[in-house]
Amino acid sequence: MKVLWIALANLRRMFRVRTNIFFVFVFPMVLILVFGASFGGASTPRLGVVSTGSGPLGATLLRQLEQTPQLKVVTVADQADLLTKVERGNLAAGVIIPSGYDAAVRAGRGMTVRYLARPAQASQQLGETVRGAVARQSALLGAARFAVTQHAAPSFDAGLAEATRLAPQVPAVTVTQGTAGTSLFPSTLGQFDIAASSELLLFLFLIALTGAVALIETRRIGVSRRMLATPTSPATVIAGETLGRALIACVQALVIIFGTALLFGVHWGQPAGVAAVVILYILAAAGAGIFVGTLFRNEQQAIGISLLLGMGLGALGGCMVPLEIFSPTVRRIAHVTPQAWGNDAFAKLVGHGASITGIWPQLGALAAFAAVLLSLAAWRLRRVLSA
Amino acid sequence: MDGENVLECRGLRRSFGRLAAVDGVGFHIAPGETYGLLGPNGAGKTTTISMIAGLLERDAGEVTVAGEPMTTHSVRAKGALGYVPQDLAIYPDLSGRENLMFFARLYGMPTARARSRTDEVLALTGLADRAGDQVKRYSGGMKRRLNVGIGLLHQPKLLILDEPTVGVDPQSRNAILEGVERLSGAGMAVLYTTHYMEEAERLCDRIGIIDHGKLIAEGTRDELVSVVSEGDQVRLAATGDLAGAADDLAARPWVRQARALDGSIDLVVDHARSELPSILTEVAATGVLVRSVEVTEPDLEAVFLHLTGRALRD
Amino acid sequence: MHAAWLICAKDLKARLRDRSAPLIGIVVPLALAFIFNVIFSGISGGSGVISLGVVDADHGAASQAFTQQVLPAVKRSGLITIHTEASAGRARARAADGTLDAVIVIPAGFSARVRAGQPASMQVIGNVDAAIAAEVARSIAEAYAAELNRVRLSVATVTAGHGTVGDTQALAARAAATATPVAVSDVSAQTKELDTKSFFAAGMAVFFLFFTVQFGVTSLLEERSEGTLARLLAAPVSRASILGGKLMVSFGLGVISMAVLAVATSLLFGADWGNPLGVAVLIVAAITSAMGIMSLIAALARNAEQAANWQSVASVVLGLLGGTFLPASQAPGVLSTLTFAAPQAWFLRGLGDLRGGSLGVVWVPALAMLGFAVVAGGLALFRLRRLAEV
Repeated sequence: MKVLWIALANLRRMFRVRTNIFFVFVFPMVLILVFGASFGGASTPRLGVVSTGSGPLGATLLRQLEQTPQLKVVTVADQADLLTKVERGNLAAGVIIPSGYDAAVRAGRGMTVRYLARPAQASQQLGETVRGAVARQSALLGAARFAVTQHAAPSFDAGLAEATRLAPQVPAVTVTQGTAGTSLFPSTLGQFDIAASSELLLFLFLIALTGAVALIETRRIGVSRRMLATPTSPATVIAGETLGRALIACVQALVIIFGTALLFGVHWGQPAGVAAVVILYILAAAGAGIFVGTLFRNEQQAIGISLLLGMGLGALGGCMVPLEIFSPTVRRIAHVTPQAWGNDAFAKLVGHGASITGIWPQLGALAAFAAVLLSLAAWRLRRVLSA
Repeated sequence: MDGENVLECRGLRRSFGRLAAVDGVGFHIAPGETYGLLGPNGAGKTTTISMIAGLLERDAGEVTVAGEPMTTHSVRAKGALGYVPQDLAIYPDLSGRENLMFFARLYGMPTARARSRTDEVLALTGLADRAGDQVKRYSGGMKRRLNVGIGLLHQPKLLILDEPTVGVDPQSRNAILEGVERLSGAGMAVLYTTHYMEEAERLCDRIGIIDHGKLIAEGTRDELVSVVSEGDQVRLAATGDLAGAADDLAARPWVRQARALDGSIDLVVDHARSELPSILTEVAATGVLVRSVEVTEPDLEAVFLHLTGRALRD
Repeated sequence: MHAAWLICAKDLKARLRDRSAPLIGIVVPLALAFIFNVIFSGISGGSGVISLGVVDADHGAASQAFTQQVLPAVKRSGLITIHTEASAGRARARAADGTLDAVIVIPAGFSARVRAGQPASMQVIGNVDAAIAAEVARSIAEAYAAELNRVRLSVATVTAGHGTVGDTQALAARAAATATPVAVSDVSAQTKELDTKSFFAAGMAVFFLFFTVQFGVTSLLEERSEGTLARLLAAPVSRASILGGKLMVSFGLGVISMAVLAVATSLLFGADWGNPLGVAVLIVAAITSAMGIMSLIAALARNAEQAANWQSVASVVLGLLGGTFLPASQAPGVLSTLTFAAPQAWFLRGLGDLRGGSLGVVWVPALAMLGFAVVAGGLALFRLRRLAEV
């Protein structure tokens, strides 16, 4: 019973500071939104196109580009603007269809479309896609022009219409595409699915660590010593502190899980599995938080270390960028963090639809983390409270 | 200038919202004089002090320290003042020496002089052997001594001590009072605020009694006490016909009350000091043998009670 | 002025003693930049040279034109490496296990079918997780196929226009001899964006800058609650000096932190911040903007603890909004405009532009950041006056 009282006192103190409410509830949702939109899944490269004065044929080429699925066309008004946006990375690359394009093509003069890109691999690769699209267009235009020169068509437009009509019927050289190998990411994963569980793990740990600051305050004000003066065993005080922190984390986890499920349609996987992972992870995080809280006497030092550990371990453990993308060595190293095991478990739960039985190894690892960290925390807390 | 008052303040007024914390306080302090500002909690002592020290803007009134006008911006006037706040005002992360050096330099002392004064103050406050330790490791008493020491660093013309003994253990309290007596003896002018009557009586040459933001009485202890017309109490421990002696004494016009108790005669008279010889003569005439005489004059508590109808300490 | 310096020196001494300033100002951002660096340089895929396998089962004119002219041209641009495979089966296996990103197979009889005007096809097989590489391989093949198709279509159009079937071979030869009407030429743009290493170095540095400068003005609140502010006010120093001293602490810590981080990340991780003078201007502007905003919060808070809490929230929100964790260029629509409500975005923008441009590009971001400083700082000064009422 006392354990519960200590825990509730913890909770009440935490929520009295209004900014903590922000950190616990609002902030995670915002970050998930931002990260998910940017990191969670491949985004289509944006191609800026300037086509002013390029005439009807220029418009046709523009449409051809727009219909290319591997890129997203953004029309830009002038070249200077295009250059700036490409240089800054707002656009992956740019295409300039010169003015006079229409007249030149009709007249049979060779026309050059400019592809504007930074000297980076990704931009060069996009260039090939652009070349492919242009080549398809060029085939039609070339045929039309040829028809005119061979006096097989009265005008360029007539020739183009004829070529366009004939194109589907002419036996063509085609390119077929297939894939080989098994995918790391199942295609059913939504943009936010991967990000949501990683961010949950990141936040729970960050909150647990920064909650350590509250512990320092308690010590400074001497409340914990006063608690010990009452007929309360150190074990109860320790359990109370742990429970308090764990409860806060549980509330946060529930908010994130239900919030993202409702707002973004995120899938979390089998509830039993999710509950097991989250609870064990929270226990590990609480242990880490209390342990860190006992190491420092100074709030600012604690905040600094908490941010470092929280974000560093989070990044290493695959919370910011999926583990699957890591090089094999780094990925192995990442498993010294509980976050990595948590992410693995979620990858199985969400990505491969595993049930709780399918994630035993990960649950085992998390339980081990929890046991070790809680023991360390208890040991330090006892030493510090009786000091 | 010699003879010029170290502190002159007139018509000090300060309100917080609709509450008039200080309402027309004025007094002066001569060089070498110890002036006590005596009043209960909430009387306006700290607000008055803050205005005098240039910490707080005045709504009205003037303050002159050693001939220099004092405002929140005055540099010269502040240089003549030493300030010891009620709460400890020292930097815990710095050592005792570093604290002193910092304030010494802040008061405009060149480095060499700052160093020598720091050493002197450390010796004076008995902190020389712990000078290098961070203040957060000092005991409460040591911190208090440092707190006072900082105020003395620049050898001010006037030292202001704001309730320095509140919450302090009896031993340290005594040390502080002795310290102030030494300073006064050495010629420093001191403005001392307190709600402890005994301290005011012990230390101060003149006392101003303040209540509800107004100075309701001012003067030496004797002058103040004479305001009260309660009379003095005289207790004669005696043997013999006490009842008869009491009746005799009661007949005198300057005896207000006379009572015979078991082993003593308790009297209330107008002015014990001047009337004591007559009392003893009368009593001797009745054949009563007086063993000891105890005279209790009204104290400042009584003065305050007389003036305000309330007790000095709640 | 002398008093301000004394106060600044005293605060710096205390800060360095409790180790909090060096921790937040140097150790933490450096460590995080290092960690992000390790992670992001350990990421493969999407931006590496593509390993392309080629199987030419045909050895005819059309296939050889592809393997010996088209592909080598692409290789020269540095986009691909070419691996000739003996059989389609072997090539597919290597694509499956990821040794090759993609494979192009030209089946036997390709050239003959091309010459005869019959349908022909090339096959592209991509590793399932190398979608971009597969796409590139397909585009290369399609560009070649489109050229072949141009000839066919040209012949067909002329034939249909004339109404008679003439000498198709001669027509084809003539069509092939005509140049394709639209070509694509490459124009190189400068990179006005920080590379990954530099981005994380600068991003972390400016993120933590907002925490580092908190130590200055917030300490006024601390001194008030500790009682030492009264002493400072009683001392013969002007209030301007007291405030000045505190501001100097913020500025000093900010400068030290950013300078150390810029140098350390350059030396240790190979981050490239850019032209030192431009970087210095941007850093100073960033520090003043951080000081302004943090001071305003401190001036509005009731006590030091509340100030610290709100300052932390503001630092995180602005850092996030300003794109210190991920390049603003990758942010979706609205965010890419909103980001400029945070001074951090201007700082990173300034560094990015400096990368590809001359020194003059730093003035706009620097002035924008100074704007933050002036507005926020001005409001703070106005509110701070009442702080002195002890």
